[in-house]
Amino acid sequence: MKLLRADRLADLAAALAAQGYRVIAPIRQGRIVRLAEWRPGAAIETSGISANSVKDFLFPRSEIIDRYSLNGGDFVQQEVSPEAIKTVVLAVRPCDAESVSVLDTVFNWDSNDVFYNARREACTVVSLACVRADEHCFCTSVGGSPESAEGADAVLRVAGGGDKFIFEPLTPKGHALAEAAGGVLAEGVAAADPVAEIPRRFDVKTVTEWLNKNFDSPLWQEFAAACLGCGACAYACPSCHCFDMQDESTRKESVRYRNWDTCGLALFTLHTSGHNPRSTQTARWRQRVMHKLSYIPQRFNLTACMGCGRCSRLCPNGLGISETCEKIAQLCKANHEGRAR
Amino acid sequence: MSIVDAIRADAAGLLQTGRAKLVLGYRSRRGQRVPILLTDAAGADQLVYDAECRQNLAAYLRKPEVRQHFPVGVVAAPPVMRSLVMLSAESQIAADAVTVLAVSENEYHGALDLAATVQLLREKYANLAPNEELLRKVREVAAMSEEERAAFWTEQFSKCTRCYACRAACPGCYCQWCVAKRNVPQWISTADLAHGTFAWNITRAFHHAGRCTLCGACEAACPQGLPLMLLNACVAECVEKEFGHKTGYDLAEKPLIGSWRPDDDDGFVR
Amino acid sequence: MNIYRPAAMRLLDAREEAPDVRTFRLEFLDGAARSEFFSRYRVGQFGLYGVPGAGESTFCVASPPTRQEYIECTFRKNGRVTQALQDREVGQMITFRGPYGNCFPMDSWRGKNILFVAGGIALPPVRSVIWNVLDRRSEFGGVTIVYGARTVADLVYKHELEQWAARPDVDLVLTVDPGGETPEWKGQVAFVPNLLKALPAATNSVAVVCGPPIMIKLSLPALRGLGFSTADIYTTLENRMKCGVGKCGRCNVGPMYVCKDGPVFTAEQLETLPQGDL
Repeated sequence: MKLLRADRLADLAAALAAQGYRVIAPIRQGRIVRLAEWRPGAAIETSGISANSVKDFLFPRSEIIDRYSLNGGDFVQQEVSPEAIKTVVLAVRPCDAESVSVLDTVFNWDSNDVFYNARREACTVVSLACVRADEHCFCTSVGGSPESAEGADAVLRVAGGGDKFIFEPLTPKGHALAEAAGGVLAEGVAAADPVAEIPRRFDVKTVTEWLNKNFDSPLWQEFAAACLGCGACAYACPSCHCFDMQDESTRKESVRYRNWDTCGLALFTLHTSGHNPRSTQTARWRQRVMHKLSYIPQRFNLTACMGCGRCSRLCPNGLGISETCEKIAQLCKANHEGRAR
Repeated sequence: MSIVDAIRADAAGLLQTGRAKLVLGYRSRRGQRVPILLTDAAGADQLVYDAECRQNLAAYLRKPEVRQHFPVGVVAAPPVMRSLVMLSAESQIAADAVTVLAVSENEYHGALDLAATVQLLREKYANLAPNEELLRKVREVAAMSEEERAAFWTEQFSKCTRCYACRAACPGCYCQWCVAKRNVPQWISTADLAHGTFAWNITRAFHHAGRCTLCGACEAACPQGLPLMLLNACVAECVEKEFGHKTGYDLAEKPLIGSWRPDDDDGFVR
Repeated sequence: MNIYRPAAMRLLDAREEAPDVRTFRLEFLDGAARSEFFSRYRVGQFGLYGVPGAGESTFCVASPPTRQEYIECTFRKNGRVTQALQDREVGQMITFRGPYGNCFPMDSWRGKNILFVAGGIALPPVRSVIWNVLDRRSEFGGVTIVYGARTVADLVYKHELEQWAARPDVDLVLTVDPGGETPEWKGQVAFVPNLLKALPAATNSVAVVCGPPIMIKLSLPALRGLGFSTADIYTTLENRMKCGVGKCGRCNVGPMYVCKDGPVFTAEQLETLPQGDL
């Protein structure tokens, strides 16, 4: 078994960097902890959850997907290569690692997105099991767990009351990482500390059944009342993947960007004619919940919510996927009990 | 009666008498303070108030779902009170659309109409200054050279993901067609590059010159921890120095950047 | 292979159809891209037409697969991309990605009568089917076309309307909205759904309907009244699109992506989609 002293996490990062990995880890930056590039001296924070997710490094906020040189009404297409830096994302929460399977599906289900795939192939994911959770976590309600290994190339587990980690490689990429780590990982034996207890907040099957049948429910107005329509939740979410394509140019050249986008904004579905199929924030909030917990499950047999809780933590107005699901679950329970009587 | 009890009683009273059809206030949820939109007096016992209440509830007054319930009640601390006055002065709400449940950290002033709110602001909250720490940082930035300042702000804005949480949280951002949305022409790049994030943040700050009440809702809403209050305070400092203007103390005020006086300095015209 | 990379096209012809509405005739600059396109193109599919620097816009392919020297699209100048497209002169280049989406199941219509119903700028997607049918005329039964626009000037493909009117194997009914007629107008003056009610009962028929939402909404009951079942009424949906390949999420309606599961839907399928999102 491979062990790592907890105070040597930075040494692991350094060893990997020396072997050519770009090391991404949870780094404190002011009042936020963010997954960012590790540099010597940066403190890696393993408690808590970063404001951003692994998605940033597989499907970045903006990337160039096409390029042209322009000449009046003519143009010449230019080379565009997907960027693929050998990367390790170190000590992310298991919910983040799990989200990769949703992104893999979206970007490959019918045709293959070379940009995503290039980054994906170059990326090794190392998750860190959770010994603590906060009041926003709900992975266990959507089929996840604080020690899930899904999507991870290697997992770290806290041991010895927090003074060491067990490092377990799971895939060839994970094994390659262990080799690159060299002597920073020592041989030994340890028992993993117990993981966080995360009681289930709702039954996702009950909620999904309700969602499948209640598109027109007036309750959506109540669920969405406090939403002011920004992208904080969708952009922080590890599995939200909707995007926009935008061109920019000078007289001589143009680029096409692929940028994150969100169904939470009115512009997302606005037709040039002025017609907007989702013209109210209620319709837009409903879309977000439905897409993740009804439409994607129907189509791909995947739940597109990992229960990481970032939406609840980051929403300035108290919304979140779990809030809506809990209200639905309570409603279903009340109806059920009402009928049983 | 505690401040919270007084707020609850007045909110319930407004809803019961029909003086408001909806009350915007705060509730507790998982240790955070978040907005609540009450239409039923029975829900008033969920209302809370303390220094953790950072959202500017005046931002909800642009939402059609709220406007259809006018007149409304709004739990408001002095910066939020000023935002409400500003919205009325800018013709976004009728003066009688809002009853203000006027509160500060230490005192509850009762359920006031906008005219009485202005009176209160002038009497008790005329000299709201941002905190010392913020003022110190403003001076630090002001002391930088142009290049240093450009580099400083570029670095700060590099974390922006263009989620527009700042815009959503701000009562002054009520434009149906935000300049960032327009694409003929594309005034502000949507890409995650310096020219886009810089343009967005600076443009938003400038559009609030003389309108920002330094309520802090934008910074509290930003998921990436951008120092938006520092940016707004730098602009506010400049506005105060050059124009001596502070929004939210006069229902008949003209917006600073939307009006001019014959004696305005035009020395920059060369 | 970069799935977002378009093919380069040359603009062969730009015909003014109606105020701000133009038909572009385009040829592929690369023979391999042309072969690849026509090996897959079936009528009903759409593409993304663009100008580098401005962006891309979604229009149906308005020419049928039976004509392989060019493709055509017809569109109104409305915003940034359509403006940039219409600023292009004949001989200049644009980009094209496609064909995307599903198609009209024409093979299953063999031997049937076909009723085409279209309104205004929505004739282009129907026009590609009409020409496809006329190019394979003997395979199908009666062909009836009901086409209307707000005013005479708004009718598109005016030259082709004359061709259809002249054919003995096509029944063409043209109409403009009340108030949209000119003194010279010889066609009907009525809303399209009202004209439908006057048609004979449908047997062994399918209907292809495309028009503004209000026209579709009123036409569907009229068609039901003629005896069409919802499984025999076909329409093509529009939605705001970007990637065209079922990834960006923009055209998602219920579990469907209009760019992959559509744009062609039967009225029966439409009924299963969340109506509020259409």
